[in-house]
Amino acid sequence: MKHALLVSLAVLASSAAAQSAIKINGYAGQDNTIYPEMINRFVRPQLRGVTVTYQALQGDYNQGLTTLLASGSAGDLFYLPGETLDTYIATGKVLPLTGQVNTSPFVRSLTNAFTRNGRVYAIPKDFNTLTLVYNKDLFDEAKVAYPNNNDTWSSLTTKLTNLKKALGSDYYGICLAPDYARMGAFAIGAGWKQFGANGKTNLLDPAFQAAFNWYTGLTKDKVGIQPSEISQDWSGGCLGTGKVAVAIEGNWITGFLKDNAPNLKYGTALMPKADRTGKRGNFIYTVGWAVNANSKNRANALKVLNILTGPQVQQYVLEQGIAIPSRTALSNNALFKRNTPEAQNAAAVFAGASDGNVAPYTFGPKGPDWAKPINAALAAALSGQQSAANALRKAQQDMATLQSR
Amino acid sequence: MFRKGQTATALLFLAPFLITILVFFFYAFARAIYYSFTDFNLFNDARVIGIKPYLDVLGDSLFQRALANTLVFSILVTVLQTIGSLLMAVALNNKIKGQSFFRSAWYMPSITSSVVITLIFLWLFQRRGVVNYLITQWLTYLPLILTFLGVMALVQVAQVLFERSRRLPAKWFDPALAAMSALIALAVTLGLNVLGVVGARDVQPYDFQYFSDSWLSIGGVRVLSMPLLVVVIMNTFTTIPTLMLFFLAGLQNIPAALYEAADIDGATPAQKLLRVTVPMLRPVTFYVVTISLIGTMQMFDQVAVIGSAAPQETLITLAYYVYTNTFKSGAAPVNMAAAAAIILALIILLMVFLQRRFFVAPEAQ
Repeated sequence: MKHALLVSLAVLASSAAAQSAIKINGYAGQDNTIYPEMINRFVRPQLRGVTVTYQALQGDYNQGLTTLLASGSAGDLFYLPGETLDTYIATGKVLPLTGQVNTSPFVRSLTNAFTRNGRVYAIPKDFNTLTLVYNKDLFDEAKVAYPNNNDTWSSLTTKLTNLKKALGSDYYGICLAPDYARMGAFAIGAGWKQFGANGKTNLLDPAFQAAFNWYTGLTKDKVGIQPSEISQDWSGGCLGTGKVAVAIEGNWITGFLKDNAPNLKYGTALMPKADRTGKRGNFIYTVGWAVNANSKNRANALKVLNILTGPQVQQYVLEQGIAIPSRTALSNNALFKRNTPEAQNAAAVFAGASDGNVAPYTFGPKGPDWAKPINAALAAALSGQQSAANALRKAQQDMATLQSR
Repeated sequence: MFRKGQTATALLFLAPFLITILVFFFYAFARAIYYSFTDFNLFNDARVIGIKPYLDVLGDSLFQRALANTLVFSILVTVLQTIGSLLMAVALNNKIKGQSFFRSAWYMPSITSSVVITLIFLWLFQRRGVVNYLITQWLTYLPLILTFLGVMALVQVAQVLFERSRRLPAKWFDPALAAMSALIALAVTLGLNVLGVVGARDVQPYDFQYFSDSWLSIGGVRVLSMPLLVVVIMNTFTTIPTLMLFFLAGLQNIPAALYEAADIDGATPAQKLLRVTVPMLRPVTFYVVTISLIGTMQMFDQVAVIGSAAPQETLITLAYYVYTNTFKSGAAPVNMAAAAAIILALIILLMVFLQRRFFVAPEAQ
């Protein structure tokens, strides 16, 4: 009898320990140092008796998370990237948060990015949009006006062409990655919709074609070049070399430039407006906090989620320059008004979320395969192997095959 | 044949291997077959839906491309590496100075990780990589190179004719005369260069993108993509040394008397290779071709390392197709991946069977 009592006590104790442990799955890299610290600083004092651990997934995050979810060993809380949201909802492993968490303090376009059929599946952690980041010295040297918030595609093209003419063959106007993540924003500015009413994508839509032609046409006379042509792997790297005048990047570039090109004088402008619509286009890149539908410790998971998306943590994230937080209340923060290139970039990124045609950066139900035909077409057209028209025609065929499967 | 208890002991010793193969091969293979007839997507309860996954796979243009790429790759690499490793083994089987050094040096690519080799090849074949740099240099110095070669050929012909006019038995490729011709050609080329008659040209940097959507086509049908050709070269380079070892071992077993007899009959080196070495090595060749076919049909690592550096269609192989359909974000068409894996297994079985049936020497059976 005494023995049985001891055993049941031990079982109770171990299950209590399991219930008071919350595991979080998130990105490796910078987050792997920041979040353990945030947990110590903010979660631990408010949630005594609950052990919270951060487990970073190395390598491809989506693959790692999928494997963990399929095997039933994913964390109670995990990052849910906006671009792959639909493929995770299809697994049934993401808990709908409508009614469980108050979503009203967050920027509307961000919560919309995580909403499907009226249900919110994640609370936006932070976000980014695209901006034009430019090298002031190169524009000064070429005696060309800086890019500004009123630029259109054509006025920007003129500026870049003049700059290239003035500076010669060792310098380039803009770095263009063969990636939907950059070119797509211009298509959205021109009025293109990613998915039509039937859920299908039309890459032969005049708005998409116009953006594609403009983007790939910039490589004429080497005004625009691909990062790989100057041995870089992204356009931030191009800007860091001091040989390229403009990069289209988000706030993540500021940390990179601080570390890798500390003497580079740069400014930030909003994305150029499409000539047709007079509106600028932009992507919202966001990652949300989601709760595992199979979590045995849902109540505590929700408490941790509330703390990590709370005003205190978000203020800290902004002050430390880690990311652009997602609470509406922070839009008037004094930090955005500082006179530093980093703060100016952050303000432009924040403004980008609600200026012109803005769409979440997402792939839809087919996952990352969706963007592959577009990226292949961009690579072919930017490197001059195919005409823009042929590349687009091929991309549309591949897209139709993918979406009909 | 066995005494009582011997079978049990044998089984006991074999148990670790048998259990591993049962769990990780037979059980996994049976599961794959089962999933290939269901609607399994990693997260749902699998429901049998018949042969639809196979029809989906066969109708998928990416699978068709993967199949074509795999077959082209497999046949090309198997032929190249079998011939290459045989020739290399024959070369290294000769009693030459520093034989052990050459055997070790040639074996080095095999012990290097395929990931590292792939990264080196990516670097070599970049748009601004070493290969394009060398081609640019070649084009730049082409006038000088052509002058050198032209003068050398002329001098060599003149020397041979002169020697023959003195009734001396000079061959066209006599090494001593060739060395003299090279020296004269070098002097003439340098002289012409100094006088400004020929010199390096000013050419645009050669700018070919190897990891791009460019194809070698036959009759409008895309046969081999440029990125896959790079992988063919890389794979041949890294696997020749391993296969060479098998041929070297085989060569040791060929009786020297056969070569002596061939020598007495006045056979040339080429005749000895084709009439003695190749037939005697047939059992080894069967083994080499078999493991080469299986290895190349399952090629995965190089494609995975190159990843998105090249357009997917140009490089996708069956093994990579299976991988990409299993490890996606969220729900994935695992049933299609399983069906593709079964098709791949069947193709390999068929190829080995055909090879055994039609090409193998009686000694190997």
